[in-house]
Amino acid sequence: MLRRLLARIWRRGSPSDDEIAQELQDHLDLETEALGALRQATPSDARFAAKRRFGNVAAAREAVREVWHWAWFDELTQDLRHGVRALVRNPGYSIAVVVTLAMGIGAAAATYSLSHAIHNPFPRLPQHKLLWITQTSAACAPDCTEVSPAGFAALRMRAPSMTPIGVFSWSTLLREPSGSVSLRGFRVTPTAFQVIEAPFAVGRGFPNDAGQQGGAKLVVLSYDFWVRQFGARASVVDSIITLGGDPYRVTGVLDKDVAFPMVADVYAPFMPRVSEASIHDSRNYSVFARLTPGGTMATAAAETRAIGAQLIRESPTTDSGWVLRARPMADFHTDDVSIIETICAVAALLVFVAGCMSAANLGLSRLAARQHELALRTALGVGRWRLVRHLLTEALLLSIVASALGAALAHWGVHAMRDAIPASFAAFLPGWARLDLDLGAMTFTLGMAVLAVAAFAVLPALRATHTDLKSALSDGGRASTGAVRSTRSRAMLIVLEVSTALVLLTGATLLTRSVRNMITGNAGVRIDHTLVMELTMPSGISDSAMIDFYQHVDANLNSAPSIRAAGIATSTPLSNSFAGAVFQIPGRSPAPKGHALSAIDQHVTPRYAEASGFHIVSGRMIGQQDVRGGLHAVVINEMMAEAFWPGESAIGRIVNIDTTSWTVVGVSSNVHHGGLDEPMRYTMYRSIFQVPLQNSVIAVSTSGDPAMMRDSVRRIVARTDPSAALGEMMTMEDMQARHVSPFAMMADMLGVLAVVTITIAVVGLYGLIAYGVAQRTRELGVRVALGARPRDILTHVVWGAVRLTIVALVVGLLGAALFARLLVALLYRVTAGDPGTYIAVSAGLLTVALIAALIPSIRAARVDPMVALRGS
Amino acid sequence: MPARSSDRLELLQGTLDMLILKTLLFGPMHGHGIGTSIRQTTGESLVVDHGSLYPALHRLQRDGFITSKWEKAPGKNRELKYYRLTAAGRRQLTRAESRWNDLVHAIGRVMNPLPEG
Repeated sequence: MLRRLLARIWRRGSPSDDEIAQELQDHLDLETEALGALRQATPSDARFAAKRRFGNVAAAREAVREVWHWAWFDELTQDLRHGVRALVRNPGYSIAVVVTLAMGIGAAAATYSLSHAIHNPFPRLPQHKLLWITQTSAACAPDCTEVSPAGFAALRMRAPSMTPIGVFSWSTLLREPSGSVSLRGFRVTPTAFQVIEAPFAVGRGFPNDAGQQGGAKLVVLSYDFWVRQFGARASVVDSIITLGGDPYRVTGVLDKDVAFPMVADVYAPFMPRVSEASIHDSRNYSVFARLTPGGTMATAAAETRAIGAQLIRESPTTDSGWVLRARPMADFHTDDVSIIETICAVAALLVFVAGCMSAANLGLSRLAARQHELALRTALGVGRWRLVRHLLTEALLLSIVASALGAALAHWGVHAMRDAIPASFAAFLPGWARLDLDLGAMTFTLGMAVLAVAAFAVLPALRATHTDLKSALSDGGRASTGAVRSTRSRAMLIVLEVSTALVLLTGATLLTRSVRNMITGNAGVRIDHTLVMELTMPSGISDSAMIDFYQHVDANLNSAPSIRAAGIATSTPLSNSFAGAVFQIPGRSPAPKGHALSAIDQHVTPRYAEASGFHIVSGRMIGQQDVRGGLHAVVINEMMAEAFWPGESAIGRIVNIDTTSWTVVGVSSNVHHGGLDEPMRYTMYRSIFQVPLQNSVIAVSTSGDPAMMRDSVRRIVARTDPSAALGEMMTMEDMQARHVSPFAMMADMLGVLAVVTITIAVVGLYGLIAYGVAQRTRELGVRVALGARPRDILTHVVWGAVRLTIVALVVGLLGAALFARLLVALLYRVTAGDPGTYIAVSAGLLTVALIAALIPSIRAARVDPMVALRGS
Repeated sequence: MPARSSDRLELLQGTLDMLILKTLLFGPMHGHGIGTSIRQTTGESLVVDHGSLYPALHRLQRDGFITSKWEKAPGKNRELKYYRLTAAGRRQLTRAESRWNDLVHAIGRVMNPLPEG
């Protein structure tokens, strides 16, 4: 359809070579007949005579073909030359269109590249055939996704359209002469790598029977870990490395940019035990699957649903209310960021549309200004198609330049986004590090832009070339109906642009305020001068050895110079990773199944409160005396104390954890372990000397720059026990930034997009008013001549702009309210309907619009009636 | 046909187009018919070179003065390419004719000056 239209525009029914040949052949036949009848010659003689008469048939064919060939080529170069000249003659217009369109294209392409990268972070895996199986209940959604061993066993046995893979996370450590490094890993069912068709750099995956209890210990390394730790030596395959104190044989190294299900250092096999198949009430398997050759997403989903129903029938007490679902693998990668992604997509779309509208608006304004020229050219006999083609060529030239600039902007934007996120956050989004301009997204956006511009150029052009010649020529195109109509379309476009700007500006303002609240908000701990890090002990170490280590390292750290206080705990505030423990309060009826009470479970050293910066409200902190054999002491946070003993002292009360009774010895201030935007949770502190941990965190409060203390902390830990591994070290400021940065980035991005759209809109508004003033110079002149004061003219023109802006604000506020509903989940201490924001944003936009309108209005007010009237 | 070249008139640049348009004024015609018609109308004194007839036809079509269509030829069991004048072609013919008349008139005045007064 489109191709035919283009052919029509460019070549107008150029005949095919066959057609030309046929026509000439017909001529020869007719001539032969005529000569034959005339001279009664034999047919062969007649044919010979006809050919002789005609001359060189091939040359004639060539000449005919050339008529067409040069026609379209000539006209194309002519159109191009004409287009370039016309655009260069109007640099303001050209630059405005190119810049606005490029910004729209850049924003859209960058955002869709981002979304694509996050959806499919490992493009070398057959992602469209991979599934993520989750088991959730309404009570714990959306935090719980893991599947019970019984569920996993059922999936393996009863789902013919997929091959399930079980995954556990596994953290271990590698012993090094200079100290140990902690490693992030996964335990996977042995066939996992075959099932997902993972490419290997060297070596291979696990044999099918690997991972049995007591079998050989095997490990697969990630590419990055292999390069970092073993200098990419191929000889590492089949060699033995020591992880967490045990020897492991390396079977292979995954290829570059391949990981499953997430980035990790090492993978080990595990084989689920047969006896596990009856365990329903603990849910600890991450389950993925790959569709079998005959399987489809729909059959897999149906099978999964059926298995979920069977599980409930088999064990109603544990499984009722739990839903088993098969979801696309992309959901696993985007589960946490889908809101951010949606907002980005909506914002980018808005900017893109605003860019296109602006280009259309500018195109219309230019067309209106050229009404006279177009009419003249039509009168001089230039065909309508030819004129449309001129305009189309100009539009295409502009969109090509804009596309190039847009691609550059998108490229820059994508890299800026990639670098804007701290590495610690990017680790959760494996696609982020490899974020690059996606060719598919880019092509799609460019195509859309070219189409949009072409449409906006051609549709009005078709109408423009229809305009009545006489009226256009006689009054200089000033008040022709075409101009009025185009002014109305332009006003509508401007209303849409201004309202788009309002939507984005409102979103940006809400988010910025929320981010400011998050940064200035009270996390309940000290953010400055605090260093935190992960600590891992080798597996197989005894409890007493661990307690011994914790006591020594605690003492050594606390006696070091420039450390004000050091403490150890299970997890870091604001880290969003914490362990929970189920508890009961004696005397209260036990909670129904699936709704057990749970609290954040912190195992700490006595000085952890000081090191971390929270305080004890009543009673005491865990102390040196709380060791094995002593009192089972627990400190709870204020929130928990107020929930269970409102208005009375919690000290001396009993909390049952597992089967042991713990006595409340103190109440602490509240600390945010998730982000500030997440709800406060119950928290319990117990002594790490009573309940030691293999994985813990160290918090150090320093007198100087905390970042400078990294090495001395590392030395102290290595001196206490070289087998203890320290993970990543972060200041609490980094930790906060890690939490806030996605929100801050969103806010910044929306802010930039809002400014871009406002600029686009204001330029458009200014152009419309200025154009209106130019069109009405004569009318204004008459008014002045008839006694209108400059002030009246000014008010008259400005009021026109204000009326337009008010319509735009009404439309925009409706849009903004809708957009804000998307943002609700991200907002902290700002409501989506915050009236202050809406009023401020509207007032701001109105002011900007007023200024834009004032400039041409003042010019209008100064109209000299003599000049204006003489002009015609 | 060099033997008879002396009694044949060479076409002036651009006049072929005008002749084609004029011929088509009486109805649609195929290429061979146009050539034959011109030859017969001029009593064989103007023989259109077939090698330049077809490029001229296509040029006129390209510029929108004529259109073409494959149609069944009367009395023949085959389709031939018929050319037909467009509105733009009619206007073009009028312009060309008046230019031609001016030219003939001007040249005539040089060649046969009228006696003064």
